[in-house]
Amino acid sequence: MKGIRESLFSRAGATAVMLLCTLYFLVPIWWLLVGASKSRSQFSSTEPLWFADFHLGDNLSELFAYRDGVFLRWMGNSILYTGGAALLGTILAAMCGYALAKYRFPGREALFNLVLGGVLVPATALALPLFLIFSQLNATNTFWSVFLPSLVNPFGVYLARIYATASVPDELLEAARLDGSGEVRTFFTISAKLMFPALVTIFLFHFVAVWNNFLLPLIMLGNERLFPVTLGLYSWNTQVNQIPELRMLVIVGALISILPLIVAFLFLQRFWRSGLGAGSVK
Amino acid sequence: MRFPMRSLGIVLTSALALTACSSTSDDSTESSGAASCAPSSGPVTLNFTSWIPGIETVVKAWNDKNPDIQVTVQTGPNGNGGTYQNFFNQLKAGNAPDLGQIEYDALPSFRVQDGLTNLADCTEVTAAKDQFVDWTWGQVTFGEENSVYGIPQDAGPMALFYRKDLFEKNGIAIPTTWDEYAAAAEKVKAAGGYITNFSQSDINQFAGLAWQAGGRWFANDGSQWTVNLQDEGTTKVANYWQGLLDKKLVSTVPPWTTEWDNAYNKGNAWTWVSAVWGANSISSGAPDTSGKWAVAPMPQWTAGGTSAGNWGGSSTAVFKGSKHPYEAAKFALWLNTDQEALTLLNKEANLYPATKSGATLPALSEGVEFYGGQKIYDVFATASTQVAADFVWGPTMTSTYATASDGFKAAVSGSGTLADALKTTQTATIDTLKSQSIPVAE
Amino acid sequence: MRSKSPVRALLFFILPFGLLFAAFYLLPIGYAIKQSLYKVQRTGTFGPATEVFGGFEQYQRVFENGPFWSSVGRVLLFGVVQVPVMLGLALLLALLLDSGLVKGRGFFRLAFFVPYAVPGVVAAIMWGFLYSPNLSPFTSLTSSVDFLSADFVLWSMANVVTWVYVGYNMLIIYSALLAIPQEVYEAAKIDGAGPWRTAWSIKVPLVMPAIILTTVFSIIGTLQLLAEPQVFRTFSSAVSSTYTPNLTVYSTSSIPNFNLAAAFSVVLALATCALSFTFLKATQRGGDK
Repeated sequence: MKGIRESLFSRAGATAVMLLCTLYFLVPIWWLLVGASKSRSQFSSTEPLWFADFHLGDNLSELFAYRDGVFLRWMGNSILYTGGAALLGTILAAMCGYALAKYRFPGREALFNLVLGGVLVPATALALPLFLIFSQLNATNTFWSVFLPSLVNPFGVYLARIYATASVPDELLEAARLDGSGEVRTFFTISAKLMFPALVTIFLFHFVAVWNNFLLPLIMLGNERLFPVTLGLYSWNTQVNQIPELRMLVIVGALISILPLIVAFLFLQRFWRSGLGAGSVK
Repeated sequence: MRFPMRSLGIVLTSALALTACSSTSDDSTESSGAASCAPSSGPVTLNFTSWIPGIETVVKAWNDKNPDIQVTVQTGPNGNGGTYQNFFNQLKAGNAPDLGQIEYDALPSFRVQDGLTNLADCTEVTAAKDQFVDWTWGQVTFGEENSVYGIPQDAGPMALFYRKDLFEKNGIAIPTTWDEYAAAAEKVKAAGGYITNFSQSDINQFAGLAWQAGGRWFANDGSQWTVNLQDEGTTKVANYWQGLLDKKLVSTVPPWTTEWDNAYNKGNAWTWVSAVWGANSISSGAPDTSGKWAVAPMPQWTAGGTSAGNWGGSSTAVFKGSKHPYEAAKFALWLNTDQEALTLLNKEANLYPATKSGATLPALSEGVEFYGGQKIYDVFATASTQVAADFVWGPTMTSTYATASDGFKAAVSGSGTLADALKTTQTATIDTLKSQSIPVAE
Repeated sequence: MRSKSPVRALLFFILPFGLLFAAFYLLPIGYAIKQSLYKVQRTGTFGPATEVFGGFEQYQRVFENGPFWSSVGRVLLFGVVQVPVMLGLALLLALLLDSGLVKGRGFFRLAFFVPYAVPGVVAAIMWGFLYSPNLSPFTSLTSSVDFLSADFVLWSMANVVTWVYVGYNMLIIYSALLAIPQEVYEAAKIDGAGPWRTAWSIKVPLVMPAIILTTVFSIIGTLQLLAEPQVFRTFSSAVSSTYTPNLTVYSTSSIPNFNLAAAFSVVLALATCALSFTFLKATQRGGDK
C-alpha cells in the first residue's frame, strides 16, 4: 500500500519536472516558429506566442528566392560540410581513441594529453594561423579549407578511448588474433561494432559542432556560394542596419536551419537505442 | 613502436618551418611613394571584395563592357562583421584581393598596416579629383599631397528626420539650432514622447555630431599622431547630450534592434539626426509611419550656421600586392563615377554617391512618397557641401569605438558621463597606438 | 603485441587523426606562441611595420591589462554558478529519463536536445527578443525586471548557455547510465533499495566519470565564451568589448594587433588548462588513475 502510493507520488513528481523542463526548452522554439510565420509588420506588433495572419509560405518563398536561392545553397553546403566531416571525423577519432585504449606504446599518455590539450585552445587563437597555413597551400576560399580542419575532433578521441576501454574486452581481441585476424580487420569487423553506440554519440556531437561553427568559414571563405548556413545567416544579420528587410529572413532562416539537425537526431536515435541495447549485453 | 611519435614530430617541425618562412617573406614591399601605374599587357582578371547588396549586378554591367578587364566579386559580412579582419589576414598572407570596399574610418588602419596601394601616379585618378565632393576626397588622401589611397564611393551627409505630423499637431517649431532642439525635447516629453533615441553603442553617429561641431579627433603631422578626443567641439557635443540624458529627454534603446525600429514605428521617438541612408532605415523599420516624416537641415550650434556632419560612407581601395593597379583603379573609378554604375548602386543598396554630379541622379531628384512627397535628397545634397573636409580618422578606430561605446553604455546606464567616456577613450586610444608602436604624442 | 604487425596497425589507426591534428591544432598553436613573442616596429606615422623579437613584452601587457583580468573574474563567477546549475539539471533529467518513472521518453529526449541544435549565435538573438522589455512574450516580467541591465545580464547569458547545453550534457550522462549493466540493478533490488536510493548511491557514483567529463568541458566552454556576449553586445548596454576573455582576444585581433591577441590566447589557454587540471586532480584523489 505504502509502496504504491510512494510510486504514484514519484511518478507524478517526475512527470511534472519533465513537463516543466520541456516548457522551458520548447517555448523559445515555439516563439521562433510563430515569429517565422508572421509578416514583417506583424512580427513586432502582434502577440509573440500566437499566430497572426499566416505568412510562413510567403516568408519561405521570399527566403528561398532571395539572391538566386543562395539560402538553399547554404543549406546544401552545410549538409555537405557537416555530414562529410562528421562521418569521416568520427571514424578517424574512433581509430585513434581505440588505439589509445587497446595498445600500449611509449608516449601513449603524452599523445593522449596532447590531444586533450587541443580542446583547451580558444578557436579565436587558431583562426589566423590556420588561414596562413591554407594561404601557403593556395587553398583558402575552397571547400577543403573548411572541410579538412573540421575533421579533427579531439573530444571524439577522448570519448572513443573511454568507450573502447569499456566496451571492447581484451580477451575478444586476443581470440581474434589467435584466429589470425589482422589488427585492422579486427577493428572494423569486431571492435567498431561493439563501439557502435559510442560512435553514434560521437557522430552526433561532431555533427552539431561542425554545423554550428561559423568562425572558421568566416575566415576561410570569401565566396558566398561556399558559405555554410550559419555564416550566411550571420552575414545577413550584420547587414540588418543597411537592409532591415533581412531581419525577417534571418528569423525564418534560423528556423529552417534547425530542421536538418532534428531529422539527424531522430534518425540517429533509433541506431543509438538499438546499438546501446546490444552493447550493454557484453 | 616509437614510430608514430617520431613521424608526428617530423611533420610538426617541418610544418613549423613552413610558417616560419611565410611570416618573414612578405615584408619586402616598399610603402612610401606611389606605386607605378602602368597598364598590363593582355586581358586581366581582378578580384573585388565588397558587402554591398546587389554589387554583382553592378559588376556585371562592367564586365559586359570590358572583356579585357574582368572583375570577380566576392561578398560576405560587413567590414566590422569580419571582412576587415579577413582583409588583414589576407594582407599578412600575401593573398589579398585586388580591390576591397573600405569605409573611410577604416582606411587609416589599412594604411598603417601597409595594406593599400597609393594611386597618386595613376593620372586618371588624380584627374578625377574635382568630380568628388571635397571632403570625400580628403578622406582618401588623408589631406596629403601626392597620395590617393582609395576612390570615394558613397557619403553619409547628415540631416534631421522628424515626425512632421506630431510636431504640427503639438505646435512645436522645427528646431534649427541645438538650443531649440533641447527646448523642443522638453515639449516632446510633455507630449508623451522622446525627441530622439541616443545611440549608445554606435559611436559613428556621435562622431558625425562632433564633426559638425568642429571636433577633430586625430591629427597626423607625418612624424607622429595626436589624439584629441576631448577637444572643444567634441566636449561640447558630449555635454549637450549628457544634459538630455540627465533630464531623461531621450530614449536609450540599443540601435539597430527591432526594439529600436519599434520606438520609431510606434511614434515614441520623434526625430533622428541621421545620414542620408537613414531614409531607408526609417521607411523599412517604421512602415506604419509612412507619409508622416519630413527632413530638415541639421540643427546648428550658432543661429544661421551652415555646417553638417557625416555618418558613414566608404571607398574602393586597391590593396598592396595587386599586380594590376592601373586596371583596378580604372574599374574603381568607373564604379564610383559612372552615372550608370551610381544609379545601380543607389537602386540596389541606397548608396548616396560621393561625386558632385551624383546628386543629380534621377532617383535622387524626385519626391519620396514615404516623406510625404518631399524632395528629401535636396536637403542632403546641400548638407554634403557643408561637411568640413579636414576630419581625420585614427589608425585604430575599432579599438577607439569599442572603448567609447563601452563608456557610453556605462553613461547611459547611469555610471559616469559621456565626458568621462571620452577621457577613458583618449587614454586607451593612445595606449593602443603605442602597443602597435605607432608614434603618438602623449 | 604478439601479433604480426602491431606497429603498422598502430600507424594506420593513429596517423590519419594525428597528422590532421598536428596540421590544424599543433601547428597553429606553435605559430600563436611564436607570434606572442614578437612585437611590431615601425618608422613614422605610416611607415612599414617589421616584426622583431620582443621577448615577453606582450605578456607584460597582458598582465597589466585590468579589463582582461576582471573579465577572467567575471567568467569564473559565471562558471561557479552556472556550471553546477546546468549539470545538476542535466543529471536530474538523465536520472528521471532512466528511472522508468516517466512515459514518453523518446519525446522528452528530443525536446531536451532541440535547443542544442540551435546555433549559438541564433540562440542568443532569440533570447534577446525574449528578454526585451517591449517585444518579449513575457512583458509583465521583463518590464519590471531589466534582464539586460548590468546587474542581470551575466545571469541572462547564463540562462542562454544553460538552455542550449543542458540537453547535450544530459545525453552524455544518460548514455553513461544506459551503459550500466542490468546485473547491478538486480543486485540493488535484492537489497531492497528504492528508486531514489538506487539513483543516489548506485547510479550517480557509476556515472561520476561522465559527470566529471562534462564538468571539465563546461569549465572550458565557460572560459571561452564568445558568441553569446558578442551577440548580447548589440542589445545590452552592459556588455563591453572586453566582457569575457575571449571577447578581448577577438577585439584585440580586429585592431589588428596580432601579437598581443596571440599572447592573450596563450594566457587564456594556460589558465583553462590549469583550471581543468586542478579540477581533475581534485576529483581523482583516491581514484584509480
